[in-house]
Amino acid sequence: MVWQRLFLLLLWLGQGTWVLLGPNPGRHWSQLADVFSRPSQGLASRWEGWRVSRREARRNLAESRAEAARLEAELAQWKTRAAQEAPRLSEADEAVRLLGLKQQIPLELKAARVIFSTRPATFGGLILDRGQDLGLVDDQGVLVPEGIVGRLWSVGGTQSKVLPADAPNASVAVMLMRSRATGVLQGLGSERALIRYLSNQEVVQVGEAVLTSGLDRVFPRGLLVGYVAEVAQGDLELRVVVNLAAPLDRVRLVLLLPPQPPLEVQPPFVAPEVKPPRKRGLP
Amino acid sequence: MRMSTPSFTRQNLLCAAALGLIFLCAPFPQVQVVLHAMLVLALAPRAGAPLSGALWALAAGWVLEGSHLYPHMGGTAWADMTLTLLTGWMAGRWPLEGLKGWLGRLAALSVLHAFLVHGAVRLATVPYPWGGGWFWTLLSVPLWGWVAWRLLQSGPGSGRR
Repeated sequence: MVWQRLFLLLLWLGQGTWVLLGPNPGRHWSQLADVFSRPSQGLASRWEGWRVSRREARRNLAESRAEAARLEAELAQWKTRAAQEAPRLSEADEAVRLLGLKQQIPLELKAARVIFSTRPATFGGLILDRGQDLGLVDDQGVLVPEGIVGRLWSVGGTQSKVLPADAPNASVAVMLMRSRATGVLQGLGSERALIRYLSNQEVVQVGEAVLTSGLDRVFPRGLLVGYVAEVAQGDLELRVVVNLAAPLDRVRLVLLLPPQPPLEVQPPFVAPEVKPPRKRGLP
Repeated sequence: MRMSTPSFTRQNLLCAAALGLIFLCAPFPQVQVVLHAMLVLALAPRAGAPLSGALWALAAGWVLEGSHLYPHMGGTAWADMTLTLLTGWMAGRWPLEGLKGWLGRLAALSVLHAFLVHGAVRLATVPYPWGGGWFWTLLSVPLWGWVAWRLLQSGPGSGRR
């Protein structure tokens, strides 16, 4: 009886197993293998993905470093080139401004380059690269777009020396822009000068423009000299200190006025001041 | 009225005849399904002797599937064997009292048989349509149940009718 039941059980289980195996028994084993190998496959794919991404990142890093090095070299090259070109560019800018000034003044102006400066020294001046070869003579006015520089002190064959306007032994005939009061500018050094012979009765404001008066026959009337920095009452005359407009320590290109220019030159060198608009109804 | 147990010979002869009819009725699937259910649920089960019933059910399943060449045979045979074992166990556990109980039990087992066969064949092969065999089987339960009742009860078994 026992063997009969055992046989029946085996028969039932065997038949059931046969049914479960289905039409393609091999697929169960492959499915089972798939199930068991899924974790390791997932790990392997993640490991491979991580390796690929790391390889990619390393390659990107190397490329980025190479690119950065290349850009750095290029930047250094450009910086060097810019440093080399900077003086020429600055000179070119200055030349352009000089050209603009030359077009504004209807006189025959000549250009020269400052090749040396002895300005820090007492009675120092500027050395120009042109002299008698350009037809220069003593006492020709020298100016830059910002304002007057001084006059030619001595002229050599191929060089000449400029006496700057702030030199103690320099003098320029000037006038104040508003009051039109005239005086003589005398240098104080360090791009400052003093206006002499101004009456105490004159009204002078700090910041007022100072122009050439043309009376010295070195500069025509109306060229900018500087701006009033200090005004003080003196015993006999006003003490007016002027800050010169031209950067005398940094001048490299200058224009030379013709000897004994005319008193008046049109149009005026300095543009008129812009007044604030008045409101209607106010005095 | 408790159902009497037929003789082994009679039952085996009836099972053999039903198996032959299943084989011969291959061109008529509806009839074949009904005969198949009759053999598995009514003729083959025997309380206390599960082996012979299981073998007859197994044979019925294989013959039915073999006559139609299923892709992977064996699902029907396994379901038949399971149902026959269950029916035989039920016959020993809850002996039948009359024809009505017999028919009711056959109807319930027919439904279970239809589900089990469908599931087993689906498991062994591929999903397939239900068809109308289960319906004809269930509809004709009174007929083949009564026939099986008469065949199993007649003759020199218990002598009581």
